Amino acid sequence: MYKRVIKKLAVAFSTILAIITISFLMVRFMPGDPLMHLVGQERYYELQMDAPEELERIAEKYGLNDSLWEQYVGYLKSIVTFDFGVAYSNDEPVLDNVLSRAKWSLVLSVPTFLFGGLFGAVLGVLTGWKPGGWLDRILTPVMLFLNTVPSNCIGILFLVFFAFKLQWFPLNGMTSGGLSGLARTIDIIWHAGLPMLLLLLFRTASNYLLMKSNVSQVKGEDYITTAYSKGLSSHRVLWVHVVKNAMLPYTTSLCMQLGGILSGSMLIEVIFGWKGMGNLFYTAVSSRDFPTAQLCFLISAVCIVFGNLLSDIVIALIDPRIREGNFDY
Amino acid sequence: MTTDKKKGQKKTFSMNGAMKCGAGIVGFFLLVALFAKQIAPYDPAQMGVPYIKPCAEHLLGTNDVGQDIFSELIYGTRVSLLIGVFTAMVVTVFATMLSLISGYYKGIPDKLITALTNITMGLPSLALTVLLVAYLNPGKTSIIISISLTAWTGTSRILRSRIIQLAEMPFIKIEKAIGMNDFVIMTKHLLPNLKDIILSRAALAVSSAMMTEAGLSFLGLGDLGSKSWGSILHYAFYQNGVVRGYYWWYLPPILCTSLAVTGFMLLGYYGVQKMPGGKKDA
Repeated sequence: MYKRVIKKLAVAFSTILAIITISFLMVRFMPGDPLMHLVGQERYYELQMDAPEELERIAEKYGLNDSLWEQYVGYLKSIVTFDFGVAYSNDEPVLDNVLSRAKWSLVLSVPTFLFGGLFGAVLGVLTGWKPGGWLDRILTPVMLFLNTVPSNCIGILFLVFFAFKLQWFPLNGMTSGGLSGLARTIDIIWHAGLPMLLLLLFRTASNYLLMKSNVSQVKGEDYITTAYSKGLSSHRVLWVHVVKNAMLPYTTSLCMQLGGILSGSMLIEVIFGWKGMGNLFYTAVSSRDFPTAQLCFLISAVCIVFGNLLSDIVIALIDPRIREGNFDY
Repeated sequence: MTTDKKKGQKKTFSMNGAMKCGAGIVGFFLLVALFAKQIAPYDPAQMGVPYIKPCAEHLLGTNDVGQDIFSELIYGTRVSLLIGVFTAMVVTVFATMLSLISGYYKGIPDKLITALTNITMGLPSLALTVLLVAYLNPGKTSIIISISLTAWTGTSRILRSRIIQLAEMPFIKIEKAIGMNDFVIMTKHLLPNLKDIILSRAALAVSSAMMTEAGLSFLGLGDLGSKSWGSILHYAFYQNGVVRGYYWWYLPPILCTSLAVTGFMLLGYYGVQKMPGGKKDA
């Protein structure tokens, strides 16, 4: 068990190192002046026009004239001290910008994670247990459809139908402005309604399909036949034997989803103008604001690595076969 | 690739309804892409009167600069399919090579490749793809490279475990014992046995590559020179076609993308399911 956790920690650590190295190399070796990648395109041109000596100073600060190895060590240092540069858009440190946006992403993604996990599991258990029933015949095609079609496509259709045609929801943005207190909270919930509904549908769909296949797989195992032959009621077999075993891979998947909690809703955030981290990342990329884009990338990457690590640890905690080390996924 | 698949299916006659459906959709789009020049009534770049509703002259109307949307859509099929299929080819060839090396030789190469696979699986694929496309200039090649970079891990994992199984079977062991060249064993004896997995994984790879491409070009990170379905949707969304209710502008690319992605998915998904029966004739 400890050996396993240490091994997984090592993998997680090397993945983070690989991510940092990739983002370091991207700045230095992508086409164009590395200095432009460090300060962002617009600021680069602005400085080039007004203050070339400032540009020199920045080049000196990042050690662009030093050897590659020294630059790399410097880069690692700046990451450890959380120095990610200054954003062009508002002259605030990039880190503050990203964190304040990340909060808004959580508003959408935390309920999605919780309810998507719950609904997917419950529906998946029901149809996996009785495949071919009416619920299965209705739900499975719908869920497969949701899982296949690109999310931006369904997003736009929903936008057109619910916000434009029926006008149940606002078209864009997060608040109507000018409100405070409870009215503001309700207004935000109203604005969040449509994107959250979409995210919830997608999440439920993928969780549902996973849980359904888990349950139908476990159902065919020998120990289920044994459980029946002991004379257990089918109710007991389902909740004690089937669900308990089907929950194992499901939990792993939930932990992994936790890794995407900040970055998982980029397309939906963009379509609905929700100013979360995904939207910030998109704006940064399309305006070539590289410091911000880099930090968004680093943060979402580290989250995903931690999500994977968490899933490895949790599965070892709850699955006795892995805990005792005689079984591995 | 798709024609190969279809041929294989005819031989066994076990093609089910969903797969036929997938093959039909894929075949249709392939034909459209091949004969784009003959089908499209106008040059997709030619400008004219903007915002014409669908009518006899412009089957799907025109966009904000008066380009014929039907023609755009037909030429877009080329771009979308090209990126999807090409990415899938890169991904599948790369994954197959890596998995052959790691599954057949085992030992140190296997350890290294498995570590590489594990690390790549930990990378956030969409974020990395978006960031890479931002650094490289938008274009077909940079999209293909950025998607391929993280998309190979699933295929390589599945193939590796299958190769390890196969390498333990008598017919491979005998080949090894009589001193057959490793390369010959891999290409003549291992690859044919992996054909079904490789083809179905390739179809799934096309589907997911097209999905990613649709997302990227929707965000405006696609090829600006030739529009794919995703880029048409990008313009429809950002030039306010959606809010103004120009359904002929945003609906067709959405339908085409969804249909094509589903088509490749059905091909690949049901290919996997029928694997046990399909292996015999391989």
